Parts: sequence; structure tokens; C-alpha cells
Amino acid sequence: MAKESFDKEIQFLRMLVLTSGAYNRQQFAERLGISVHTFDKTLRRLKEIVQTIHAELPEKQGTEFADMLRFSYYESSDPILLFLYRAKSLKESESHRLSLIVAALQEKALTAAELMDICCDELPADVSLPDEKTIRSDLKYLEQVGVIKREAGGRPYRYRVYNDLVAQLTDDELLDLYDFVDVMANTQVPSVQGYLLRDTLKKALKQKELPLAVTDSFLYKYHYYSRILDEAHLFPLFQAIRLRRKVRFLYFSPKTGKSYASQNTNPLFERETEGREEHVLPLKVVYDHQYGRWYLLGNNYRQGIMKYRVEGLTQVEESEEVPEAEFAQKLAQLEARTRLSWLVDTGAPVKVKVRFFRPDKQQPDFVKERVLLQGQWGTITEENDDWFIYEITVNGTTEIKPWLRSFGSSCEVLEPVRLRREFIAEWKEIQSYYEPFRENL
Amino acid sequence: MNLFEKIFNYQLISRLDEYGTLPITAHERSWLKAMLAHPSAEAAFAPETRTKLQSLLEPVETVAFTESLGEKAKSKERHVYHPLLRLLRRILAKNQGIRMTYRTKNGRVNTGHKGLPYKLEYSMVKKEWYLLWYHFRYQAYMSTRLQSIVSVSEEPVDPGEAAEIRERIEATLEARKETAVIEVVRSYNRELSRILYAFSCFEKEVEYLDQTNTYRIRLTFLADDSEYILSKLRFLGKRVRVMEGERLKQRMYESAVKALSRYGIESVDPLF
Repeated sequence: MAKESFDKEIQFLRMLVLTSGAYNRQQFAERLGISVHTFDKTLRRLKEIVQTIHAELPEKQGTEFADMLRFSYYESSDPILLFLYRAKSLKESESHRLSLIVAALQEKALTAAELMDICCDELPADVSLPDEKTIRSDLKYLEQVGVIKREAGGRPYRYRVYNDLVAQLTDDELLDLYDFVDVMANTQVPSVQGYLLRDTLKKALKQKELPLAVTDSFLYKYHYYSRILDEAHLFPLFQAIRLRRKVRFLYFSPKTGKSYASQNTNPLFERETEGREEHVLPLKVVYDHQYGRWYLLGNNYRQGIMKYRVEGLTQVEESEEVPEAEFAQKLAQLEARTRLSWLVDTGAPVKVKVRFFRPDKQQPDFVKERVLLQGQWGTITEENDDWFIYEITVNGTTEIKPWLRSFGSSCEVLEPVRLRREFIAEWKEIQSYYEPFRENL
Repeated sequence: MNLFEKIFNYQLISRLDEYGTLPITAHERSWLKAMLAHPSAEAAFAPETRTKLQSLLEPVETVAFTESLGEKAKSKERHVYHPLLRLLRRILAKNQGIRMTYRTKNGRVNTGHKGLPYKLEYSMVKKEWYLLWYHFRYQAYMSTRLQSIVSVSEEPVDPGEAAEIRERIEATLEARKETAVIEVVRSYNRELSRILYAFSCFEKEVEYLDQTNTYRIRLTFLADDSEYILSKLRFLGKRVRVMEGERLKQRMYESAVKALSRYGIESVDPLF
């Protein structure tokens, strides 16, 4: 059986979250490059997962899925998109068996044979009984993912649940751990494992019925919650980088209309995919805080440094290994070329010089504060009571431009002249957008 | 390491919930171990808890992702954890009041002011923590940087009164909600994904007008957030246009006129 891929679900959820119900079924399916039938099937499956995990969510007839996922700042601190990572398919019998095994091992350490007896006694009548080989392979899996641990001592081996993190902490310590995990998952990348752990710790606090177990004290303002969808690709990429292996994938540039194409197995329906086949040596994954997006930077034999938005990656597969020396050389080349990238631009370096105007004297100097906070490696070279000069050498001006523009009239571009002219032209155009409005005043 | 593990499967998780079992995987332990190495961990735990966690996680293998992970356009982190978080979150959970000495924006020090904490808020843009609270004497909903708090202690408050204040805060927040409609200028539809990403941190609805192939984003936000929205609008420049929201329109017009005057281009009718 082919490895289960979640490309479709990821693309589906991303479109749903970003466009928040803008499209009807037909339009939605068209843009994803899938049939309406597949659209309905995927939606049903995702709904089922969400409703199983979040039993508290409204199950009103006709509630739009997009509404269920709508981001509401003050109401929920749970990252609802996390449910994507609960989507791995599992046979009914397997989920019964695995849960029974883990639950039994939570009570005390047991051997495979003892677990076999428990399964025979306690599994529902309609679930087929496992043989000892199955139990052993379950134990091997659970041990490998770290949920259980083999106890010291000889055969027959005894296993127990590996949950020291919850079991050995006092109530107060558990509360601190929950808070720490919550804060770090929300403020650092990568975060999915943190959110998964947060879920478990939240349940642990609930079980203990601690009076202090309030888990919604923290809010994160201006957070890009949808970034966790792209984290699905991170670890396969990190692994490929670690193993110095190239990867192959089908790339859908976010600028093209379609973002996914089903992998048809029936040759009758096979059609040209619109994505691009890519084969590249991955070197680095970059998170862009400005937009909350991920990039893959790599090297390809013919074209040199390549940049991809992680959201456009589908069907990622590892391929051949490259010698360490080659990897090191390509990485060094990439580091040198991106050292001066505001984000990931590898264009020619250019010196940008701007004048920032300070706010009125009565107000705190929020302009300077923001420049110091967000201005990366740029420096302030001159200042007086009214303004200060900020200089930075960056690769190309495209990526820094939106940031400079966001300061509005507090920023005047001095150099390069081309950028100065571009700013004048853009502000003129923006002014023209609101001329009709002004006339109505 | 695969994030799509059988053990995370939704049916399995809901069965484990019924049994009351709490599985923690190697993935999560390894992530936690990496995070404990972050300097902010120091403020998050009592020293003995941190030592305990470190020893529990000692045998855990960490996944070396840091060398292949880069971050760009990141604001300097003022702090991720603030030493006052632990105390304040406990007062919050106990539903108690506070007595606080803090510096105001213009540098004055307010001594021993009483209030009720509401939430602790981290700004992903400013990279610091704020206490959202209700000031008893001013009868006002406040936001104070934890950095500006000189001292704070717990103060008893009547549970009935606390509940009433919370309701009042929620009503205030509701009343402060504004909406605006932003249109993606059609020639920039190719950049739709980027534009929607930029607004993904707000409560929003998107409307697609099939006939004209236009996208409109309806944002719901608190009045206090309008400065940040304006900076986002300027950030996106001519790609977007405010369609509804008089104040935002006026401010965008002002921005353009004033910005042009920086370049020596004066508006014909200097209304602003």
C-alpha cells in the first residue's frame, strides 16, 4: 500500500482557513484540482475528526465547517487546526487494541502474554482477537514511539507506560509545565509537538481536578495560527537534510490558481498535473515571521540555489544521498548568498538608507522602538530630536519594501533613488484609491 | 520523525481519554527537552522543578533541527517568559484581585492601585507580555506591560463582584468591536495567498464575487487594533483597498498625503 499522504487534507484546510468560506463547493474543488465528490468525502472525514476530538463544538445541523474552524480570539486558546495531526488512519480493531494495551500498562507493568489475556477478556465481542505476534508488534510500535517502556530484567519482558512527565511532578509543577509548554508552542517554532503535549497535559490537569487548573489564562495576539499546517512537511525535510539526501516533490507555486492535483491511479482519468516535478538537495528550512510562512531552500544541479514555499510542496519523497563535502559546499554557498536576505532574496546587495520621523514629543518614540525591534541587522547612523537615519545593506529591495511602507509617513526613503521613486509612485496610487472618499467628506 | 503517527489518531485518542490514560510520545519529550534549553525556561520553573524535568528528560534523544532551521524577519525577543507570569496566572486562576505598583506610558508611577486581572496577553509583534485587567478606581479596562510592573500582590475580591466585572469586561470588548471591508485589488489576485496570510491573525470572513473575480475580506477587530491593521494595510500597499470603514479610509488617505509631502509633493487641497 502506498504511504498515506496528507497533502490533500493540508491543502484543503489551508484553503478553508485562509479563504474562510469564500467559495462554494464547486469553486473550492476546482481550485484544489479535485472533484466535487472528493471534496465532499474529504470534508466529511475532516468533520468527523473534529467532532470526535472536540465533542464540545456545536454539532448543529447545517453548521458550516468553516464556521467551526473560525478563529475567535477571546473564545478559545486551543489551536483547532491541530486536528490535522490526528488524521492518520487506523483500523477500528487496532485502535481498540492499542488503547486497551496502553490503559492496562498504566495500571501496572505487564508481559505480552498477560496483555494477550487482557485483550481476550476485555476487547468488545465484535473485534477480532489478536494473536501473540500482533501483541508483540503493538508493543514494539508503542515502545518505538515512546509511549511505553520495557522494564529492566530478563525474559519475559515487562512493559509499563512511560509517562514520568505527568506521574512524577507535583500538582504545582504540572501547572508550571503546562504553562511553559503553552507559551513555547505558541511563541517558538516548530510547535506541533508542543501543541500535542499541551493537549495531554491539559487532560492531566483536568483529571486531577486541581482548583488552579485554569488553562485559558494566556492569549497570543497577532498570531499566525495556520502556520502549523505547514509544519507537516518540516520533519521529513529536516530528516532529508540530516541524511544529506535529495528530495523529489511536485511543486505548486502559490501564485498559480490550483494548489493540489489528485494522484490518479486509474489511467483513464490520468491528466496532466499542473505542478512542477522538482528534484533538489534540501539545505535549510526558513520561517518568515513577517507573513507566518515557511520556505525550503535547496540546491539543484542545473539551476543552483532554489527557493520554494513549503505550502506548495506535495508528494515529498527522499531520494539519493550526496557526499558530505558536496552538501557542505552547497550549504556554505547558500549561507553566503542569504546572509543579507531580508527574507530569502538572493539578489544583488544594495544599500538602503531611510529617514524615520519621530512622533510628537508628547508620545513615546514608538517609531524608533519598532525599528530597533524589527530592523534586523540595520543600524541607526545619525539622529536628532525630529528624525533618525537607518541604514541597511540587503539583497534586493523587494522584501524590505513592505516593512518600510508599513511606517507610512514616518518613513522617507533616501537611497537608492529607484526605491525612492517607487515609493512616490505607490503613495500617489494609494492616495488615488481614497480620492473619491475624500470628495465625499 | 513523523507527525502523522498512529498513536495520535483521533479514534485512538478518544478511546484513551475514556480510559483516562495520557500517552506522551518520544516526539513530545524531545521537543520539550529542546525547549528547556531556551533561556526563558529559567523564569518558567522553580529551580528544583527545572532540575527534575532535566533529569527526567536526560535519556531522551533530541532531534537536531536547529541547524537546518532559520528564522527571518523576526522581531528581537524582549522576553518569551516573564518572571511575573507564574504569580499572575495563579492569582488569575484563583479568581483573586491584585494590588499593583506600575509605571504608566508617560513614566509616572502609580502606587498600590487595586484591580481584577482578566488575561495575560503576549504580543507576537512586540514580543512581550501584557496584563489585561480592570482598574477598580478608574473603572476602566487596562493593558499594562509586565515589564512596567514594579510590584504586584494578591488582594481578596468578592467572587460575585469578580464575576460581574468579568461580564463588564466582556461587554466592553464586544462594544469595542469594529468591522472593515478590504478588497484585494484585482490585478493582484495572483498574490491572494500572501495577502490572506497577512490577515490570518484576525477574525475574518472572505467573500468571493464570481462575476468580477474579486475578493473582499471582512475583518472584525477591536478598536485598539486599528493601528496594527493600518500598518498591515500600508505594508500591503496598493494591493488592497479599504471599501468599508470610514476611519481606516481617512487614515490611509492621510498616510498617503503626508508620505508624499515627505518627498516634497504637496496635495492640491491640504485638507489634513
